[in-house]
Amino acid sequence: MLNVKINGKEVQVAPGSTILDAAKEAGVSIPVLCHDSRLNPFGACRVCLVEQVGMPKLMAACTTPVTDKMEIITESEKLARVRKTAIELLLINHPLDCPVCYKGGECGLQDLTYEVGVTKVRFDASPNDTPVDHTNPFIERDIDRCVLCGRCVRICDEVVNIQAISFLNRGTDTMIGTSFEQPWNCEYCGQCISVCPVGSLNNRVYLFKNRPWNLESEKTICGLCSCGCTVSIDYECNEVFRMNEMPEEGVNHGYMCAKGRFGFDFMNSVKRETEAQITVGGEAKKATVAEAVEYAAEKLKGLKAEEVAVVVSPRITNEEAFLASKLAETIGTKNVFSTETDEIMPEGAYSEVEASDALAVLNINVTESNPILGLAVRVAAREENANCFVFYPSETALKRVATELITGNPDELAVKMEKFCAAMGGADNDFSAMAKTMLEAEKPVVVFDPYNKADAYIAQEIKKACDKVILVPAKSKNNSVGIVDMGFGKNNPADFAKGVEGGTIKAVLCFGENILVRSGWSKLEGALAKLDLLMVTDPFMSDTAKAANVYVPVATFAEKSGSFTNLEGRVQEVSKAVDKGVSADADVIAALGKALGAELPTDVYAVRKLIEKEVKLYSGIQWDGGKVAYPSVFKTEMEKASATAKGSGKFYLYPASLRLHSGSYTRWSPDLAKVYGTPKLELNDADANEMESAEGDTVKIKGDGFAGEFVVEINKQITKGCVSLPEDFASTADIFSLGRYLKAEISK
Amino acid sequence: MRKNIFETIFFTEILKGLSITLGHMFTKPVTYKYPFEATPIQDRFRGVQYIKTHADGSTKCVGCYLCQKVCPSECIHIETDCGPNGERLIRKYELDLSRCIYCGYCEEVCPVDAIHMGWEWNLVDNTRDNYVVNMRVLSQNYKDNLEGNWKNKHLKKKLEEGVQQ
Repeated sequence: MLNVKINGKEVQVAPGSTILDAAKEAGVSIPVLCHDSRLNPFGACRVCLVEQVGMPKLMAACTTPVTDKMEIITESEKLARVRKTAIELLLINHPLDCPVCYKGGECGLQDLTYEVGVTKVRFDASPNDTPVDHTNPFIERDIDRCVLCGRCVRICDEVVNIQAISFLNRGTDTMIGTSFEQPWNCEYCGQCISVCPVGSLNNRVYLFKNRPWNLESEKTICGLCSCGCTVSIDYECNEVFRMNEMPEEGVNHGYMCAKGRFGFDFMNSVKRETEAQITVGGEAKKATVAEAVEYAAEKLKGLKAEEVAVVVSPRITNEEAFLASKLAETIGTKNVFSTETDEIMPEGAYSEVEASDALAVLNINVTESNPILGLAVRVAAREENANCFVFYPSETALKRVATELITGNPDELAVKMEKFCAAMGGADNDFSAMAKTMLEAEKPVVVFDPYNKADAYIAQEIKKACDKVILVPAKSKNNSVGIVDMGFGKNNPADFAKGVEGGTIKAVLCFGENILVRSGWSKLEGALAKLDLLMVTDPFMSDTAKAANVYVPVATFAEKSGSFTNLEGRVQEVSKAVDKGVSADADVIAALGKALGAELPTDVYAVRKLIEKEVKLYSGIQWDGGKVAYPSVFKTEMEKASATAKGSGKFYLYPASLRLHSGSYTRWSPDLAKVYGTPKLELNDADANEMESAEGDTVKIKGDGFAGEFVVEINKQITKGCVSLPEDFASTADIFSLGRYLKAEISK
Repeated sequence: MRKNIFETIFFTEILKGLSITLGHMFTKPVTYKYPFEATPIQDRFRGVQYIKTHADGSTKCVGCYLCQKVCPSECIHIETDCGPNGERLIRKYELDLSRCIYCGYCEEVCPVDAIHMGWEWNLVDNTRDNYVVNMRVLSQNYKDNLEGNWKNKHLKKKLEEGVQQ
């Protein structure tokens, strides 16, 4: 430890820490502009200059490492003068349009200007007047306001690893831009917006909607995928204005993805229903929630217990899922379903992924499906002595960091993964070197897709071959893990389809799930219409809600309290930010329970007490960030599943991770839908040339048992001879109900 | 003070007082016969606000929310949005005159010299709803101020005429 004196106060810091770290330790604040604790030191703005006793030169606190017995002075007349000049120089080219600026009120430069007391600029102000760039659908770029701190460039490189933007030109001509001033080619994660200290990079969804001093914030967990990011919901008068990052907080270190940052607007959507609806004989009638519940209860009373099924969505909270299981108990049915199964449980945490020295990503485009897990993978893969092996049918964004990227059509890839698996078990083949790296690594991690049985089998075999491997099953939805823990993963989802089609299930209580866009269930439309009772709760009139007898509008995750369990198995608290005047799922379930003669609590804490008592995994759990200790990843021995593509045709068709979406929920967001609203068929450029089809053309796809028409998106990363379609759209769910890998013919 | 006998006998103090009263009987009165007669409005009087417009008639206001923030009686309500060309768009600008305390903070805080305190003050109306005025009314007030087009007949002064605003 080194002894350092900051403004006369002695502190002890670890070797290698900077003056800024030491000052923080001593409780002294040094003004900074270009520094971000999550990024490498840069030293561009010279605002953090400090004096060292005995040194004539000033030093940048954010870049200078401390030495033993250093004496630092952070406040002096000289420093005040220097800092003031640094700000004055920045203000020469910075337009003073704070009243209309996006950042006014929370601007780093504005705060510093006040802090150092600049009231007049001594130099001739000459702000530029370059037109604002609107080429990116989510990010507005006003380069005039830029102070060239380089935070956006660094976060895009160091954290996101996309390197979409960089410094262009030199000297006074320096600006932030894309290579050759092309339109932005990025993941739309918006990390650059979150670090920009001025209003140069702006969130177009929130742009000019409100000002920061009007907004109240509520810390909660994002409910749009299983990553479980800590976010703050900024709202005024029950309207959500933005979902903002919380730097350094939560499992995500304050990073967010496009879904969270730009997709929150569905909560304010005017398309949301406000009244319950009862449909009798094809005629829809508005009703109160109480009437709807009463109607459903009457119908339920006329049916046998085993004829009722309860379906929950991974969107609802742990507490609501528990109440739903209690409701099923009250009814006396064992027909509890969800799209999830309890075969695979979480194991690894983000910290373990980040610290890993050998990673294998098996057949999952993790940066698309679970963006924050993707960032963790990138952190590990960027380490010099770490290896990252990626298996995927096409090239993915991990290509930049992967030691080896193994692609090929789904059949070839399955063979390659099996060989890799065999090599892990000791076989001698092309993958032996790779397997050796994994086996010799100290902290090997395997990320895989738990919804793909063939991959899960391989992951299991790898775990058997090497016990120190930490598995990370990348579940997809915000509470995919939690609803299984609450008892909704016991039954096979296929049994639900069988029951509904066979007529053994006559009433379905569906809490939040959009049955008709899920692969395996999407063909139930006709059968659902014949049910005696289909009760659906959903914030929107979803495809399934349209088919329902009883529909009740419910709250989104920003409007209720509870908890979600993320893909690591970490339970995190969700808190209510706004009230849109609709009831939560918990209230509907409790009302239904009451009508059927069971008293169910709706208070979150009362439900948690019950959960702790009845769910063994959650007994004594810390509800705000505690990790559930699962006994094992696999409940039973996985069976070897065939991964070969079914049918015949020239092209391989496989499900791609949804771009910018998570299931069917985010599609109600007008901004995300603007960029990706309809399913697109991704095609290699060579194949597209052969077919003479250009981007935006509609092509017909036909295979054994399915046909459809889709818009083409040409993507050079797709392997030749393969095409991909997103899952979870009504038109594609039918196709993937037949199997994950299919063969198809494509014609214009 | 001791009173002398002369003053006590001849009531000189009362006469002194009466002389002031008598004097005022022949000077011009300082009061006004309101409502039959108009009271003068001083240059720095703070009446109903107006919002300046550009030459083309578009408002000078940029919707920065500073007047809403600074308003002690919370009578200003603003809603803004992003326009089709990425510009700042004012969806709503409402000022509740019945809540306003005419303190003039909004005028002081405005960074673009848009909102000002006018001289109009006579606001008697049959319903309270009319007291909530929007951007259209506030811009019209500016025009009226410019042209001297007063609702209250006694207001003579135009905005251009020598007012140091």
